[in-house]
Amino acid sequence: MNLFSPFAMAIYTIAGLGLLGLPIGYSMIAGSILYLLLAGLDLATTAEQVLNGLMSSYVLLAVPLFLFSAELMNLSKMTDHLLGFCDMLVGRFKGGLGHINVVQSIIFSGMSGSAIADLAGTGKISIDMMTKNNRYPVSYAAAITAASAVIGPIIPPSIPMVVYALISDTSVGYLFIGGVIPGFLMAFAQMGVNSYMAHKHNFPVEKPIPIREWPGITWKATPALLMPVILLGGIYGGVVTPTEAAAVAAAYAYIVGIFWYRNFGWRETHGAILTSARQTASIGMLIAGALAFNYVVTVEQIPLFVKGLLAGYDLSPGWFLFWVNVILLLLGCVLEGTTIILVILPIFIPTAVALGIDLVHFGNVAIFNIMIGLITPPYGLLLFIVSSISGAPLRHIIRDSMPFVFAMIIALIIITYVPETVLWLPKLMGYKG
Amino acid sequence: MTLPSRTQLVEVLRWLRRRADDVCGFLLVAMFMCFMIQIVARYVFNYPLGWTDEVSVIFWTWGTLFGAAFCLREREEVRFDIFYSSMSEKTRARFAVVTGIVFIVLLVIAMPAVYKYVTFLKVEKTAYLGIRLDYVYSIYVVFSIAAIVRYSVLVYDGLKGRAPDIQVGSGSVI
Repeated sequence: MNLFSPFAMAIYTIAGLGLLGLPIGYSMIAGSILYLLLAGLDLATTAEQVLNGLMSSYVLLAVPLFLFSAELMNLSKMTDHLLGFCDMLVGRFKGGLGHINVVQSIIFSGMSGSAIADLAGTGKISIDMMTKNNRYPVSYAAAITAASAVIGPIIPPSIPMVVYALISDTSVGYLFIGGVIPGFLMAFAQMGVNSYMAHKHNFPVEKPIPIREWPGITWKATPALLMPVILLGGIYGGVVTPTEAAAVAAAYAYIVGIFWYRNFGWRETHGAILTSARQTASIGMLIAGALAFNYVVTVEQIPLFVKGLLAGYDLSPGWFLFWVNVILLLLGCVLEGTTIILVILPIFIPTAVALGIDLVHFGNVAIFNIMIGLITPPYGLLLFIVSSISGAPLRHIIRDSMPFVFAMIIALIIITYVPETVLWLPKLMGYKG
Repeated sequence: MTLPSRTQLVEVLRWLRRRADDVCGFLLVAMFMCFMIQIVARYVFNYPLGWTDEVSVIFWTWGTLFGAAFCLREREEVRFDIFYSSMSEKTRARFAVVTGIVFIVLLVIAMPAVYKYVTFLKVEKTAYLGIRLDYVYSIYVVFSIAAIVRYSVLVYDGLKGRAPDIQVGSGSVI
């Protein structure tokens, strides 16, 4: 490879601008323009790629809509009532509040597609509950809250899977349903760690809730519990597309907040609209940058180059997945997740196809992996957020989250090497593979 | 006629910024409404619509580019912030000058070609509603100009030793 080729210069520019703090989307646009300039191509190509790309990425409209519905859901505080319901289910086991935390995240995962939304919605109240009267160390409460939030984008719906669907041209519906078993595997792994920790440190048990209170508690949690039913029922019942389901989720969250809990009005709605609109612009720009840069990568035939390079090593699918996992785990320590999906995964996809790896399986493995990156230091987004919510020092949270990371990597190995864990449900729903 | 004072100018800019936020919010709500209309038309009136698909992607494209141009605050951008955030404000201000100048220069160089491309599209129309494509795509020109202006301000601030306000991990949505 020529170290002074237009492509190499573009890479230096993107890396340089990114490291020096220019937003990543803009860095990629700048690098792409430089490439066109040096390669003597039409300078309008970047604009053309961004505009045509955004205009044809209909599936991506699910992203702003899921962001909007998460904002509304968190406003309505419908998830607060889930805590009582989860307590009823698992509170009486050793380390009860830790289990409650995980189970609540499972349910929330069925409502929202973002780990950050999960933390924003339930993080504070979960941590407060666990640390009341010093029952759990605050760093442990923060660690399990961050770890369980990771389940959010694995169990459907899922914002990263929507983005992956765009770059891999796979069906959002099958990707979503493929995440169900991995999501539960991740949750079991976390509950296993929590059980172990609870016995080791003698964490408390919650008072069992008498059966006669069960209906009341369930009733209060019903609006929240209905959300996953509406979303998944809508998508897999063939009533709505995944993108439309995102809009239905937002409408439902709004109606529940206004008419059932009656805890927000126009002012709050306005705030939620502005927040989600700005988040939309932020991720939209990242996607726009990736659209511009992916054009350059395609013109340079980088994915084919990687494929040829790897063919030289005569990798088996198993070893290929092993190395992809290692690379993604390392990148997850330093890079933001959406960027990895948009920029790094497209490079591997042709090789995955050539090796006969199913792209729904590959996507689920990659996203599971990238989600683990949300709680691996030094750049673990969720660690930063729980640290600021709980006030616990980052290094203590990192220490306490390590067993969770370890358990999740074991779950990752399982879903990597037993493809049926991902593909069984999609195949049941008619996926041909 | 007297020139407006600095505070008046700041007032005007703030007002403009709030209106820009309103436009950005409107684009999101409009996109959401397209979907609701589409679903209701299909199930309640048994009358599938085609224009909603087209209009909603236009709202999404505009929402992204208009939002990035006028609504996003510096602290809301997705950055490679693990390295950048550990620098002192003085260093970050210098970085902002360098990155800002590179970005502005490249946008300016591409500008004539972009303008030509967009205006050339006046002969094309969107598939369903027949909206002229140069109108739809003009948002990219607006975005480019706004980005040039905005980064000029950031370069100016950087020269004065002021770095953009950042927040680690903000802007990520997954």
